[in-house]
Amino acid sequence: MQSKRLFFIGSLLPCLMIILSLTGCWDSVELNRRAIVSGVAIDRGPTDEEKYVLSFQVIIADEISGENARGASPVVVYKGSGRTMFEALANASRQTARFLSLGHIRVIIISEKFAREGIKDMMDVFERESETRLSSYIFISKGQPAIESLTTMTAFGKIPANDLVEKLQTTSKQYGYNYRMEVDDIVRGIQLPGGGPIVNGVMVIGGDQQGSNDSLKDIKPKAILRVTDLAAFKEDKLKGWLQGDEAVGTSLIKNEITQIPEVVSIGENEYVSFIVYLSQVHIHAEAKDPEHPIITIYISEQAGLEESPNALDLTDPKVVNNLSELLEQNIKDKLHAAVSAARSLKSDYLGFGEAVERENPRGWKQVKDHWDSIFATCEIKFDVDIVVRHTDMRNNSFQFNNIR
Amino acid sequence: MGNIKIGLLQFFTLTVLFELGTALVVNLGMESDKDAWISILLGNLMGLIVFAGYAYLYKKFPNLPLTAYIRQLFGKYVGSVISIAYIVLFLNLAGRDLRDGGSMLVMATMHRTPLFIISMLMILSSAYVLHKGVEVLTRTSLVFAVLVILIGLFCSSMLMFSGSINLNRLLPVFENGINPVLSSVLHQNYMFPFGEMICFTMLMPYLNNVKKGPWVIAAGMFVSGILLSLTMVLNISVLGTDIVKRSPLPLMPTISKISISDFIQRVDILIVMVLIIGVFFKLSVFFAAALIGISELFKIPYRRMVYPVALIILFSSILNARSFTEHIEEGGKLLYTVFPFFMVLIPLLLIIITAIRSHSSPPRSG
Repeated sequence: MQSKRLFFIGSLLPCLMIILSLTGCWDSVELNRRAIVSGVAIDRGPTDEEKYVLSFQVIIADEISGENARGASPVVVYKGSGRTMFEALANASRQTARFLSLGHIRVIIISEKFAREGIKDMMDVFERESETRLSSYIFISKGQPAIESLTTMTAFGKIPANDLVEKLQTTSKQYGYNYRMEVDDIVRGIQLPGGGPIVNGVMVIGGDQQGSNDSLKDIKPKAILRVTDLAAFKEDKLKGWLQGDEAVGTSLIKNEITQIPEVVSIGENEYVSFIVYLSQVHIHAEAKDPEHPIITIYISEQAGLEESPNALDLTDPKVVNNLSELLEQNIKDKLHAAVSAARSLKSDYLGFGEAVERENPRGWKQVKDHWDSIFATCEIKFDVDIVVRHTDMRNNSFQFNNIR
Repeated sequence: MGNIKIGLLQFFTLTVLFELGTALVVNLGMESDKDAWISILLGNLMGLIVFAGYAYLYKKFPNLPLTAYIRQLFGKYVGSVISIAYIVLFLNLAGRDLRDGGSMLVMATMHRTPLFIISMLMILSSAYVLHKGVEVLTRTSLVFAVLVILIGLFCSSMLMFSGSINLNRLLPVFENGINPVLSSVLHQNYMFPFGEMICFTMLMPYLNNVKKGPWVIAAGMFVSGILLSLTMVLNISVLGTDIVKRSPLPLMPTISKISISDFIQRVDILIVMVLIIGVFFKLSVFFAAALIGISELFKIPYRRMVYPVALIILFSSILNARSFTEHIEEGGKLLYTVFPFFMVLIPLLLIIITAIRSHSSPPRSG
């Protein structure tokens, strides 16, 4: 009796253990049943029935590496449309042989047309969906359908979305005013009182055949994907594009500049180039009277002299100091340009309202509703401090000797 | 009862894990927006004061759990009713935490797995550990506390290096004055998670050092309060108030912002691990408290009740609400309606009665 019972329990227990551990397979999707989505493009469909046209750039793992490569395109784009984002995603699954895996989306590209209409409805799914990460980069496709940017072959790396991410990272470190803008930055930006987010632009330059491997067979690719201007929003609607000084100034105020080249004019057609880095920004609002706040932007930066093809005596500290004053004026001009651009777009994406709120939360509540008109007229001061730390590997240019 | 004795360090780690439990991953104290971290600290202080009361009772009855001295002080009949109420409270709390943990796991990772299966696995592991005994639970906590602290250190340093922290998002402090903070403290923060320490009154008889024991537990509460507050500071400074307020599990998106040169990223699965560990300990401590209460009150051997009680907890957790929204809403209400009664009022009565008794009658030896 006793042994029979023991046998019963002894055989039941392993079965139970196996059943229990099998519950872990409920949500399992094997790797060979997954298709990894590297980028998503969102276009405005013609009707409200298919308002969202989503294009998914899906990585074909066999073509990236592996013996089964057929020499075909390393990524494929699938399209789906629907009344909501999620419907469009589900719709696209009719064409895909595998489950679309959203966990590795690197870029989300929104068409300019849609951005002018408003982007707030499409952000919810990226926030809510537990598979997507907040760290995907957002772009606005400038003047083109968003799908164009996903269907362009790129030279570096086989996956165009990764290439775009690397382009953004490179430019943000080296030259430019473009910086990382992720999903949560946009969500916060949309809610910025009286303002909106700033989003990177992207566009394809060049003609046809961009989506074929042939596009890369020439030394000059037929089409190049590039990161462009900054898209400025008011709430969730695209209002305008910032480029040049306006864009640099904006990124400076946002404290997102790693380093930028800066060219100072010292005479007719004579220029000195600097690299400006280690930028530190502090926005201070003097808001005792919230109706007339005074906003001061403090910026301290360091610069290295990179190019000086002229007869300046760079061994003289006075000359270098004068140069840094010119440089400060240059930066101030850029900040001016940025502020007046923001004013002409009537959008406080620079975050001055937040500065007022930090300084005087009670006063902010009174002026919150008509902040637009205050922002348009309030006094804004710039306090720029730049030190030229060194002149790199030479002091004077050889042209200095020619003069003598 | 009194033959098991558990060390101070084990009790410390058990307290820390119990307090961190689910509180670490949820949006704690967001009623007060940016100042959530302050309300957590205030809640911690109030929780410590409440705990001082429990410690006083423990000092007076070092060998008895709560349900036993309730009957001594209130008399046999009234005392038994209140004891049963406490046992039901512990069972309910255990069920609520099980539901919390299960739902969060379903939301965060395992979308298609039935909630019942996840809850069952969790309660089974907890029942197994308690079948082995309370001292096993406390020793397990020592191991897992090290793990949780390592994960915490790793994640917070990585967040710092990845540059997503913007402390400006915490400003201005006291934007709407101090009232929202106080109301958040009164509605939530002193009860959850600090008031839940009431269940430690059931475990404290196992302490091996009457003098230092309460101090060690209080230190555990203090440390975990600081950790919770720091976590909230991290959440808000990374995501901003609005996103934190709208996420049931803000720590996950916060950690998902970690990206160090495209190499260290997607570490949010560590948070799922912390969540499972936290829920396990919270659940087990309530479970243990209920078990000790039952075995003490009805004189039933502790081990025989483990699996029946596990079943009760499992089904109450599933049946208690239809959706997570309903569950959270109900929990929020319980925090300021029912719980203060059990966690503050009755202990206060007990303290008053004990104080009067020990004052009027001559001190007994031992």
